[in-house]
Amino acid sequence: MMKRVAVAAISAFILFTGQGTAIAGGPLGPPQPVSKEEGGLYTGFGYGYHEDVYQNGSERVFRQNQVYSHLAYGAKNWEIFGRIGISDLKISDAFSSTRASTTTSKNDFEDNWKFFGTLGGKGYYPFTQTFGMGVFMLGSYYFKAFTDRVSGTQDGVPFTSDLEVKNFWDVNFGLGFQATVPYGIRLYIGPYVYYSEAKMSLFPAIPGLNSDNGSIKVHNRTNVGGFTGIDVPLARGFHLNLEGQYSERFSFGAVVTFSY
Amino acid sequence: MRFLSFLALLLAFLAAGCGLSRNPASSLSSSAASFQPRFVAVPSNPELFTLKSPEVAVTSEGGSGDERENLNTVQEGARAEAVTVPDSPEPSHSSPEILAQSRDEGSDRKENPAAEQEARDEEAARIADPLEPFNRAMYHFNDKLYFWALKPVAQGYNWVVPEGARVSVKNFFSNLGFPVRFISCLLQADFSGAAEEFGRFAVNTIWGVGGLLDPSSSQQLNLLKRDADFGQTLGFYGVGQGFYVVWPVLGPSSARDSVGIVGDFFLYPVSYIRPWYDWLAVRAYQEVNDTSLRIGDYESLQEMAIDPYVALRDVYSQYRQKKVEASRGNPAPPKPGGVR
Repeated sequence: MMKRVAVAAISAFILFTGQGTAIAGGPLGPPQPVSKEEGGLYTGFGYGYHEDVYQNGSERVFRQNQVYSHLAYGAKNWEIFGRIGISDLKISDAFSSTRASTTTSKNDFEDNWKFFGTLGGKGYYPFTQTFGMGVFMLGSYYFKAFTDRVSGTQDGVPFTSDLEVKNFWDVNFGLGFQATVPYGIRLYIGPYVYYSEAKMSLFPAIPGLNSDNGSIKVHNRTNVGGFTGIDVPLARGFHLNLEGQYSERFSFGAVVTFSY
Repeated sequence: MRFLSFLALLLAFLAAGCGLSRNPASSLSSSAASFQPRFVAVPSNPELFTLKSPEVAVTSEGGSGDERENLNTVQEGARAEAVTVPDSPEPSHSSPEILAQSRDEGSDRKENPAAEQEARDEEAARIADPLEPFNRAMYHFNDKLYFWALKPVAQGYNWVVPEGARVSVKNFFSNLGFPVRFISCLLQADFSGAAEEFGRFAVNTIWGVGGLLDPSSSQQLNLLKRDADFGQTLGFYGVGQGFYVVWPVLGPSSARDSVGIVGDFFLYPVSYIRPWYDWLAVRAYQEVNDTSLRIGDYESLQEMAIDPYVALRDVYSQYRQKKVEASRGNPAPPKPGGVR
């Protein structure tokens, strides 16, 4: 019992004090699979708002709205899943000028829906009927590059330049602790580690712009985060999953799943 | 211009056929009036006689692909009594056995109102066939098309692609047929059916991975597909079947349902794929996939019937008649569960 309390306390400490970043592939879900115990498919439709800080020299805040479809196969204690979805991308101050002689038509990078895919798996170990612990791993990749165009003047000469964010991917690994309360509601909490990177290239490079270093790789500033969520069984095989991921930026997501 | 003239003439021809009568039986010619039933081999077990011919399968676009499954419902009519064929070349008035049997059936019907109703339904389902020489030619053309092209390709596809994947493809195309079923339900003032169709489409698209899976048909949700189309809608408003026609590639149809095919075509999203050869490729793939899931059914029908053309014609008209009757408020009991 003491061991369990200690584990929970450590998890809570990591969750609420660790400097982490949010995950780009959507909510992680409860540690215990939603699939039927004897094995089966489940599908989901989800939304995630994701905010993160990326760096390479200067820091940039990435904001994304993600909508995705989730397909999983699992049994009582394990599951594999895939997601396919679309996401926008907004990068604050990507086109801000650092020189007085350079002016731009806008400061933020914005692009609309691009496809991404996620693959992952999880395993679950029940301590009791109420408590259990799980591990998960998932990775996401954006199939197409996000692009945006900026125009402005440099020393009085007009210019137009394209910023491209490509090869955007992430990988995540984490632990989740789960408690099943009455009505089959599952509460879960846990820490995770995470790495994400993307390649940003401004062409032609314009000296004085925030993204003027030509082609660079940016990655998430910190690698540890925490998440907590609730999974509520609805009627007729549907589940509602709400989840928050807290770090220096807050992200959240909601998924409605259907178990076959 | 010539094409438009041809189209206009064709539509006028079809409309004239539709306008013959609400009850197609009354449009039978005088020779057909002396229609004498003759028994042909029909299995007592309806499962053996699935009646999903490749021709019926391609009767119309869009949701009509689902008709293949529902042809099973015709078996109820077909198994109760043998499939009737006209006794060609001469009506067998002189056959004492058949006459005696007819008398027995007549007395049965008087005693049994259900049998009488069934007989009336069957009578109503009979369809005139003034284009029989043309239809037979098209039947043979479609038959060769099936055995020489569609079946071998479908068998190869069947061998390569697992059944689960093929069912998913079928579900996907069926989900795309939602507009046909939804609009047809609305036109028939079947608002609960339209709502159910909308619910099916939403659930299957969102939680069925774009329609590849069919969670709506699961026992938990039990949202069953409303097998409605434009031809049925015309029937709902009293338009008779008109005459029987077999279209090359498309298969058996009636004058009324041929008009329905046009409506179904414009409501089926696949019809808008451009260029035309992409559309053709997608439709061909859909057909190969569907055929791969019912190889053997058509062959069974051919083996069972003395004259498969006539058997197919009767089955088609009975099936469509039952669909129209179902839309008027006598639906067949829904099947529990569904294909995933």
